[in-house]
This record gives sequence, structure tokens and C-alpha cells, in this order.
Amino acid sequence: MWWLKDVMVIDPSQNISAPRDVLIKDKMVLEISASLTEEDVLVKAQGESVETVNGKGKYLFPGLIDVHTHLREPGQEDKEDILSGSRAAVRGGFTTILAMANTQPPIDNRALVEFVRRQGERAGYAHVLPIGTVTKGMQGSELVEMADMKAGGAAAFSDDGKNIQNAEMMRLALEYAKLTGFPIISHCEDKDLAGDGQMRRGVASGRMGLRGIPASAESVIVARDLILAEETGGKLHLAHISTADSVEMIRKAKARGVNVTAEVNPHHLIFTDEEIGITDTVLKVNPPLGSEEDREALIEGLRDGTIDMIATDHAPHTQAEKARPFAEAPFGIASLETALSAVWNYLVLPGRLSLDRVIEAWSWAPAQRFGLTGGTLKPGAIADIVLFDPDFSEVIDSTNLVSKARNTPFLGKNMAGFPVMVWVEGKLVQRDRVVK
Amino acid sequence: MKWQRKDILAIEDMSVEEIRHILHTAKVMKEILMRPIKKLPTLKGKSVVNLFYEASTRTRTSFEMAAKVLGADTTSIAVAQSSVSKGESLYDTAKTIQAMRADVVILRHPSSGSAKFLADILDPAVINAGDGQHAHPTQALLDIFTMQEHLGELEGKNVVIVGDVLHSRVARSNAWCLQKMGVNVTLAGPPTLVPAEMEGLGVNMTHDLDSALPGADIVMALRLQLERQKSGLFPSLREYSHLYGLTTERLKKTGKQSIVLHPGPMNRGVEISDDVANGVDALIERQVTNGVAIRMALIYLLIGGSGNVVA
Repeated sequence: MWWLKDVMVIDPSQNISAPRDVLIKDKMVLEISASLTEEDVLVKAQGESVETVNGKGKYLFPGLIDVHTHLREPGQEDKEDILSGSRAAVRGGFTTILAMANTQPPIDNRALVEFVRRQGERAGYAHVLPIGTVTKGMQGSELVEMADMKAGGAAAFSDDGKNIQNAEMMRLALEYAKLTGFPIISHCEDKDLAGDGQMRRGVASGRMGLRGIPASAESVIVARDLILAEETGGKLHLAHISTADSVEMIRKAKARGVNVTAEVNPHHLIFTDEEIGITDTVLKVNPPLGSEEDREALIEGLRDGTIDMIATDHAPHTQAEKARPFAEAPFGIASLETALSAVWNYLVLPGRLSLDRVIEAWSWAPAQRFGLTGGTLKPGAIADIVLFDPDFSEVIDSTNLVSKARNTPFLGKNMAGFPVMVWVEGKLVQRDRVVK
Repeated sequence: MKWQRKDILAIEDMSVEEIRHILHTAKVMKEILMRPIKKLPTLKGKSVVNLFYEASTRTRTSFEMAAKVLGADTTSIAVAQSSVSKGESLYDTAKTIQAMRADVVILRHPSSGSAKFLADILDPAVINAGDGQHAHPTQALLDIFTMQEHLGELEGKNVVIVGDVLHSRVARSNAWCLQKMGVNVTLAGPPTLVPAEMEGLGVNMTHDLDSALPGADIVMALRLQLERQKSGLFPSLREYSHLYGLTTERLKKTGKQSIVLHPGPMNRGVEISDDVANGVDALIERQVTNGVAIRMALIYLLIGGSGNVVA
């Protein structure tokens, strides 16, 4: 049994944001109290040994749930695999991660769903839940066997990495997915508008002569998908929203009662296209970093609930792939191990977002939308828990990252504020940023 | 001035003093180039490698001549464009060339930023001979050298650059270079090729060439990549030529004896008419000669020794 004493508990599912004592026993949260005495604890331990943690000055919150990670297995294990990715997850405070389907081959049938799930269980760190594709081979022309894949353990459907260009196919997917109750996760990107763009079209792309992706490449598909969700009554989740126009359209759609949720990636809340240097492939990401106006709209959208959740879009790549001229390097930022600390430093400490809102958006909101366990510290809930130390500092470098990837813009930076203890189902899997 | 720079990557980050120093050095180099026996021992034993990932005749030859006049040994490596995905990476190729003890690597590459990428990883000097749509600093320097040769001090002069600005490294480098020298620059072309995002260059932009011409001392036509028509960026060569082609008639609108530049190779009858290209005001061949002088100056400044004073 664990006794976490005098810790600042942040649990938006119960509206708790106060110092508490917390007991963890038999893989579950046993109790949250204002304070406990040693006698209370001994009685509740029922003879089990008690490990005590002094939580003063630290935060305790439900393990983060990341609905958008690329674990690259099967097929691209040189970038990442399920073991390394799920270790990176718990190092970063994530106890449940949803694995995107754009592997090689793509996760488009039950056998592959079961494979990913099994690999996650074998790894034994974060809960790994597979997202299935929407269409066979992500070709955008035939739906996958959604019901069968649900039975095999899929958590949602997405052709992420590619957009479903055919609007009728998207409409059918929203209809058919009703059989499963799962949302269709849409990667909104008009192929023709995006072209072979490398970064957001704007003054910075114009100056550097890097081909631009207009903001409309995302926004026009957001508009299309919102209309289709409204018309079908289907369940839509919009991945990695990055433009002010998208935020405004989602806000209006929600007001009309459209069944839509949306996520934002930390890097879109932190960086803009003006910060990209011509060789900074580490900031090459899709959707591309936007303008300051976009960044402000995303923060506001997250504050007012238009954007429901934060997700990393952890996109690991090898160093050789990123060590290329900008146009030849792949899109993506590896972020599981640094995302929470980045949000803490760039958004919470400057007062742009409350920690309560961050935890709600990164645990309780995804748990509800995707029907997952976790996201709460209610007594009886599964003990997926993070202890966060705002003073713990670390230099992010290639010797301490456990992901296979090094493509993080924080490499070499000294950051403070990290998860220092992480429990998955009551088992301590990470302590002082060292994964067990 | 004392030359400090290891590489020549872009005009954007150069000081006016550096640009003037390069132009001054190029003037001396041009005198050497015009001699009947144009060979110096200055860079004997130095090796200059031309690494070209794009087809180029004039730029590659120009660098080669420049290096040879200075006495350096030159090697040209033409890499097929198709090897980007399957062949050796630029990183590995560059490391290999470095291992062969090259003193200067001259890179032309289809990706913007490739020259800086190379310069960041290599010890030898890197000269950008054109990286994607980003920069072509030696072209801008030879252009300004040519203008100065013809017009003297350039401060306050007016330059109109017309054509496919969006995809042009020549336009970008010239915009930076000319602005630094106090020249008023106007970029002209259709909205699809001179879009709003180019305003970051800080120069005037217009879609109406004729209104930009009055008062222009220099008119520079850019090469139009004919395949852009297929991507829908302009409807036809006919209309393009009608709106933006340089003709004798149109050039009268400047109201002065303006000079005409073109980075080459030209599409005669598209962005420039035959009579303009062949006319006395067109300095296109002189640009080529000056290109060798500018490249001599740059190679000399980068590896010509600690003092870098022309003997």
C-alpha cells in the first residue's frame, strides 16, 4: 500500500484542487482524505506494508491519457516500438496512450489490433490502446471491419497521417462507426491545398523559400467534417487542430450541438512559424506551426472548452531522417517525455492555462470521450497516478531519453517540472524520471 | 576590412560592409580575368569541389573557371536528382568530400536551406550556388556588381524585378542585396507568383508591371519555369508574356535609358523579347563575365590566406 501524504491533489473529475492524503491499495485508489493519521493508515493497510511518500510541494493527478501517439510498430521499429514508446510514455506522465494506426502495415484488421494490444501488455508500462484505420490500407476507398476490430480491442478509428479526401467516404465512416460508439478521428488536411508544402504558408515561408501550406488546408476539411458530423449525427474527433479558423468553426458547431471534440498539440500552443530556422527540421511538423494569432486562438479555445483535450502527436523519427535539408526531413516531433514539462513551463507557469485545466484536458476529457478507464482519482478507480514535482529539473539529452527518437525541440534544454513518480494500476513504474 | 566569414550562404545575414568588400575584391578579380594570361598561383594546392544536385551549366562552369584562374584544382560532382531518396544522403556525401580534404565546397541543391545544413556540418568553406527557392547569393552579388559597373553608386536607384518571385531564389537574394545597398526594389508579377507572403522581404510588390516601370533604372526579368503553367499558376505563356514580358515598347515606359538584366537561361519571347535580349541595354553577357569575377572574389576571400589582400 502507498500513503501519499500532504500532496496537492488535482482531480478535475471530482473538482478537487487541494492538499490531501491519498492511499493506493490493490491497484486502486483506496481513499482521498484531508489528512490521515498513522493509526488510520495501519488499519486500512490490513497488515500490508505501507510505503510513505511526503508529497509536500508536489502535485498528484490522474495519469495522463494521450489519444494521439505514433509508436511505429509494426514496421518502423527503427523510429520507435511499443516497448520504447510506452516506456517514454510513463517517463512523461502518461499512463494510457492511444497508438495511431498508420504503421506498416496499417492497423486495418482485428489481427493487427490484437497484436498492438498484446505488445503493449507484454511491455507492461502504459496501457496501450490501438486505434484502427478507417479504411482498408488507409486507401480511403473501403471501410474496415469496425465491429470486429472493436471486439479485438480497438479504441477509435483514424486514417491519421492521411486525410480521407473523399467526402462521401468520410460521411459513410461517420455513419458506420455508430455501430461501435467510437469517434472517427479526423486528420484534417486538404491534399491539394497542402501540396508539397513544408511549413505554414506565411511571411516566414516566403522569406526562406520553403513551400507553404496554407491554413485553409486544415480549415476547409474541418468545415467539411463538421457539416458531415452534423448531418449524420456521427461522432467526430478532430486531431491536432492548429488554426484560428478551425477553432472558431468548432466553437460554433458545438453551440449547435454537433457531436464533436477536438485536440491540440503542445507544440502548437508553444511555437509559431516565425521560430523556424531554415535548418530546424526538429520544428517541421504536420500540421505545421502557425501564426501567433493561431497560437492565441488555440490557447483561448483550450481555456473555454472549445478544444477538449491536449494530445502529443508523439511522432518519433530517426536522427538520420531528421538530419536532412528541410524539405527532405519527415514531419513530426517526439514529445512524450517532454510534453507535460513543456506545457507546465510555457503555459501554466506564465498563467496562460491553469494546471486544473491541463489535467482535465489531458486525462478526464479523453477518458470520457473515448470511454477509457483512468482519468480520475475517485476511490475505487484504477490507480493510474502521477506525482509531479515542479522543482525537479533535468537537462533533456540523448543519454536520458528512453524513446528511440531524439527529434524534440527541447533537446539540450534545462527544464524544471517533471513527473517524478508514476503508477500504472497501482504499480510504480517510474521514479525520479527513471523508468523501472 | 578583415574577412571573418567561413561560408557564403545568403545575403540576408551579410553586412553592407561585407558586400562592399566583396564587390571591391571582385573589381580587382575582373582586371585579372581580362588579362590575356589569366592565371594566378594564389590558390595553388587548394581544392574546390562543385557539388551540384541540379542541372546547371553556367553557374557550375563559372565557379570552375573562377577557381582555375586562381590556380586551384577543381572537381565537379553532378548528382542525379533522383538519388535524394534512394542514394547516399547529403550528410554522408558531404562528409566524404570533407574526408578528401576539399577546401571549398560549392553546393547547388533543390532544397531550401541545404547550404546552411552543409555549412553546419563541414569544416571546409561552403558557397551556396543556389539552394531550392531560398537563396542564390553569388547571382545577387554579380547582379549588383553589374549594376554598379554601369550606373555607379546605386543608392536611391529604382529596380523592378519581374516574374516568378515566389519560386525564385534569385529574386529573394536580390531583394536582400539591393535593399542593403539602398536601392528601391519593386517585385512585379501575377498574384499567384507574387503572393502576399513575400511582403516579408520588405520591398514593394505589384501585379501591374506597367505602373511600376516609370522611373526604373534597372529592370530584371526572372526566368519563368514553363512547367508552372501545368500547376495552374498562370493560364498561358501568351497571357504571361502579354502582361509581364519585357519588350522594347514596354521598356519605354521607364522614361529613361534603363538597363536590363536576366539571370539566364532566357525564354526568349516569353519573359523577354528577342530585341530586348539582343539590345544595347541588356547586360546579360556582362553578367556572365562578372559572375566569374564575383566567384573568384568569394573563393579568394574564403581560402586565400589570412590577410586576404589581393596581391
